[in-house]
Amino acid sequence: MARDTQGTVTESRSESELTLVDADVHQRWADNEAIAQYLPDRYKDDGLVLPELLYRNPGEFLRQDEKTEDGNKPGSDLEKICDDHLDKHDIDYAMLTGNSWFNLAALPHRDYANELARAFNEWLVNDVLPVDDRFIGSMYVAPKAPEKAAELIREYGDHPQVRQVMLPGGAEVPYGRPQYWPMYEAAEEQNLAMAVHPFSEGHGTSNPPTGAGHPNSYIEWHTLLGSYYMGQLASIVTEGVLVEYPDLRWAFIEGGYGWLPHFMWRLDKNWKGLRSQVPWLKEKPSHYIRNNVWFASQPIEEPERPEHHDQILEMMHADEMLIYASDYPHWDGDDPDWGLPPMNDEMEQAIKHENAAELWDLPTDGSKLE
Amino acid sequence: MTEKRFEICPAEEFDPGERRIATLDGFSVGIFNLDGEYYAMKNDCPHQRAPLCEGKLGGTTESDRPGEYDWVKPGQVVRCPWHGWEFDITSGESVFNPHKVKAKTFEARVESPADEAGATDGGCAECGVELKGDEPPVETYNTEIEEGTVVVYL
Repeated sequence: MARDTQGTVTESRSESELTLVDADVHQRWADNEAIAQYLPDRYKDDGLVLPELLYRNPGEFLRQDEKTEDGNKPGSDLEKICDDHLDKHDIDYAMLTGNSWFNLAALPHRDYANELARAFNEWLVNDVLPVDDRFIGSMYVAPKAPEKAAELIREYGDHPQVRQVMLPGGAEVPYGRPQYWPMYEAAEEQNLAMAVHPFSEGHGTSNPPTGAGHPNSYIEWHTLLGSYYMGQLASIVTEGVLVEYPDLRWAFIEGGYGWLPHFMWRLDKNWKGLRSQVPWLKEKPSHYIRNNVWFASQPIEEPERPEHHDQILEMMHADEMLIYASDYPHWDGDDPDWGLPPMNDEMEQAIKHENAAELWDLPTDGSKLE
Repeated sequence: MTEKRFEICPAEEFDPGERRIATLDGFSVGIFNLDGEYYAMKNDCPHQRAPLCEGKLGGTTESDRPGEYDWVKPGQVVRCPWHGWEFDITSGESVFNPHKVKAKTFEARVESPADEAGATDGGCAECGVELKGDEPPVETYNTEIEEGTVVVYL
C-alpha cells in the first residue's frame, strides 16, 4: 500500500503508471506477399509454404466478429487491433505474437525456415511496430538453426519495440538441449525474453503433441497443450539453461497454468532424491521457475468453484509469475473486462501489468521504450 | 410489462438463412430467418459477454455411440465467436447445458400491413384464395409475406 509524503494511505497499491499489458495479441498479414517480399531471391518462387494444423475447429479459429472492413481475416488490420482492442480496453502495451500458423519448427529445411523467420522480422520492424508505440513485438527464429537464430536475435534484437524471441511450442527435440543454447546466449545478451507459444505441435517434422501420440480431434489437441509445455519446461530447468543464463527470462504463453502447482511440487520432490542427475541445480527446481519463467493467463482456468481459482493462484505463486493475456482475436480468448475472475487488488495489479513489466523490462514511469 | 415493438426490415429483404444484428432500445439483438420463421436473441453471450449472434451459424452434432455422428438442427445453432459455445437460436438454450446456460430471446415475427391496421382494413390477405383448378397460375404469390415487415418485441 502506497503512502504519500503526508503519510496518507492511497488507494492505488501500485507505483506503476501502467494499468494493463496484454501478453498475447495476434497480428497477421492480409496477403502472403507481405512476408514473401522480404525473402531472398532463391526462395522468391516458393513464397510461404509451411505445414498447417490439420486439426479443425468447427467454430473457426478466429473471432468472426472481428473480421476487417473488407472481410479479411481478423488481426490483419493493425489499426483495427488498436481501435477494437487497445483503445477500448486502455491497454498500455500489447505483445504481438504473430501468426501461429507460421510453423517454423515443423519445416524440414533449416535454411528456408531461417529465411522465413528473417522475412517475418523484416515485416515486423518495417510494417507492424511503427503503426503504434503500444505495440511490442516477438521476433521469430527457426529453432532447427540455432546458430543462425542467434545471428537474427543480434540483428533484430536492438529494435526498442522488439522484446522477445518466439519459439513454437512444438519442436524436434526439447528446448533444454545444449544445441539451442546459442539462441539463449544471444537473447540474454540482448535483454530479450524467450517465449513459447502453441504452434508446430504435432505437425510437419515436430513430435506428436502428446506423449501418448497424435490426438484424434482438436478438442484433444487443444486440451493437452499444457502437456507439451510441461515437457519443454522440465527440459529447460533440468538441463540447466537457467543456471547457464541466470538473467534469461522466459514466457510460456497459452499453455495454461493450473498444472504448475503439481509440476513444481513433483519436480522439487524428485529433486530431493534425484539431485545427483542434475547437480548444477544449486536450488530446488521451482526456485528457477519462480525467478525466470512467467506464464500467460489465457485460456483462463475455470474451476467448478470460483474460490478454487484463488487457490491455484496462491499455490503457483501467481503474484510472481502470471501475466494477463487476451489471445485477441482468437476463438478462445479472454476479454480484458470479463476474462479474469475477481481477485484481491494486489494479485490483480501483479497479473495485469507488474509481472509483464518485469518480464519484458518495460518502463513503468511513462517513459519511452529503449 | 409493455412490450416495445421494433420494425427490422421488409420480409422480402430478409431471406432464409440470413441474420441481422440490430440495436433495439440500446440492446444489440440478433434476428435470424430460419426456413421462413424469424427468431431474435440478445447479442450477448452469458459467458464473457461476447457478441454471440455474430458467430458461425450452422448445425450441430448428436451421437448414439462413440465414433458416430448425426448432423442435426442445420442453420439453427450459432457458435459464439469467442470460445465456440453453441446456442439454439430458436430457444436461446445452450447445447451443452440448456437449462442453466441460456441467452435471452425475444419474440420475432412477420407482420403485414393488414395485421397492423386490422385484418379487414386493406391489404391483400384474400389474394389467391379464390383460384380454381389443380394448377395455380404462376403469377400467384403470397402477398402477406411479400408486403410484411419483420418485427421484434422487446
